[in-house]
Amino acid sequence: MMWKEKYRLGVPKIDEQHEELFRRVSEFVLALRQKGQWEDKLPKVKETLEFMQSYVITHFDDEEAYQLSINYPGYEQHKEIHEQFKAEVGAYAEKFEQEGFAEDTVQQFAGKLLAWLINHVAASDQKIADYVRAQGEGN
Amino acid sequence: MKAEFINPFYQATINVFKLMLDIDVTRDQSKALQEMLGKKEVGVAIDVTGDLSGCILYRFSDTTILEMVKIMSGMEFDAIDSFVTSALGEVSNIISGNAVSSLFDQNYKCDIKPPRIIIEDEKPICLEGSQVLKIPLDTPIGKLQIHMTLKENVH
Repeated sequence: MMWKEKYRLGVPKIDEQHEELFRRVSEFVLALRQKGQWEDKLPKVKETLEFMQSYVITHFDDEEAYQLSINYPGYEQHKEIHEQFKAEVGAYAEKFEQEGFAEDTVQQFAGKLLAWLINHVAASDQKIADYVRAQGEGN
Repeated sequence: MKAEFINPFYQATINVFKLMLDIDVTRDQSKALQEMLGKKEVGVAIDVTGDLSGCILYRFSDTTILEMVKIMSGMEFDAIDSFVTSALGEVSNIISGNAVSSLFDQNYKCDIKPPRIIIEDEKPICLEGSQVLKIPLDTPIGKLQIHMTLKENVH
């Protein structure tokens, strides 16, 4: 399991969504890396891609709404990172369709997704928690 | 090359390794080992454009890379494949992006190009004919190096 307790922000709704994202990406990587025919792995690939395209939007929207509610100063920059990620997932989805879900491209996507998710939750999102803590200390 | 160009990449590497991998990075003082990463190595080259231009090359030994991906995924990896190089490319991209943000704070506006993976003996074109600064680094999971050629563009 890739999820670590240190990733927790202290915002239950966002933390639950992060855990779910990690759980799905873990399952995806596990399915891709296990031995077996590529064709047998395709259902999991397609399921994960659909999930990432829908759930990620819900999660990003919730996270951005939370940032606005606390007047988070990094909101615009954070939203831009979300937009870039959505565009990249969309570009991969298009490439998968064009190539017929070629294994090499899907493996590339999975490696990038893994590193992106860890950095985003372990670094970028932690800045939100740092801001909330600093606000609390200031009051 | 000015120290103010170098430090953002060095600091970003330390920070990203700590946050993403829980790994401490230190300067490798053993000069004799500067060129000895291991039998196999993978490089990630990232071009920089804007107020500064040049190339950053991150060099990793194969064992270091496999350990990095194992830490991130919680799974064993025994070969350098598309998944592994893509994850490594993204980590290098994140380091470079953070470094460029620090440079922006010093009034250098730069962009980075997507990472290019360089396997073993391939020579990164971006470093040819330039004075290359090499930063050897050490970690509990092996050595890595950052090679840099950055010059300031006069407007």
